[in-house]
Amino acid sequence: MKNTFFITWVFLMLFTLTSAFMAGSNFQYVALAILGLAFLKFMAVAFYFMELKRANSFWQTSLVLFLLVFMTIILIV
Amino acid sequence: MDTPTINPKNVYYPPGGILMWIIIFLELFTFGIALIFMTISGRQEPEVFHASRILLNPTFGAINTIFLLTSGFFMARTVQLLKEKNIHRASFFLKLTMLGGVLFLILKGLEYWDKIEAGLILSYNTFFTYYWMLTLFHVVHVVVGLIILWTVLHSMSRNPQNLELEDVEASAAFWHMCDLIWLLLFPIIYLIY
Repeated sequence: MKNTFFITWVFLMLFTLTSAFMAGSNFQYVALAILGLAFLKFMAVAFYFMELKRANSFWQTSLVLFLLVFMTIILIV
Repeated sequence: MDTPTINPKNVYYPPGGILMWIIIFLELFTFGIALIFMTISGRQEPEVFHASRILLNPTFGAINTIFLLTSGFFMARTVQLLKEKNIHRASFFLKLTMLGGVLFLILKGLEYWDKIEAGLILSYNTFFTYYWMLTLFHVVHVVVGLIILWTVLHSMSRNPQNLELEDVEASAAFWHMCDLIWLLLFPIIYLIY
């Protein structure tokens, strides 16, 4: 478990730095890429740090659905 | 310290407790709706939003993300150490968790000071109205989270035999919720032009 938390943290740091560097680029799908990384970071915190992976699938599905709907709306509007 | 055996696979017992998860979803909906309205306003005033975002410092935002996520890592370790009944190390990691929150607030304070000095206050334009409302509301959550963690630390050092693991898990869930909210705010306010 100790290693799982540490590996999760390393990925979170890498994703944060990647999204910060990507923000300054002119890459066409930069918004999509930044939101994609935010999605992964959100899931990593919820499923590993908050241990949602141990919870009932109702809570897991609800959180994934919330985030998918939210990010889809942000990309559409 | 009491460590009850609760099956988290039961829908009524998610880690941190069902009431905390209801609060987490309500908070996420609230911030989510506000961010959707901010994005809609950005579509209506693209020049204002673009020019205003350039005035923000994404480095501050990125460093604050690192502070909060590192603090979240220490919080997760605190709960794990408590499950192993290692209260001494758990107390140390909880202090590190709180340090992350304090560093976040200090950097946020510097950022706010910078904005106020430049005259970029709540009424400056639509973008900064959203910026102040959303980030200040998040800061309030971080402050409340730190107070909750301080009470846990107090119980851990003064009265560890009365400390309930469920209460610590609920406090940890609240603290992680601050991370989740920030992970929505950071890209939309600071990064996406």
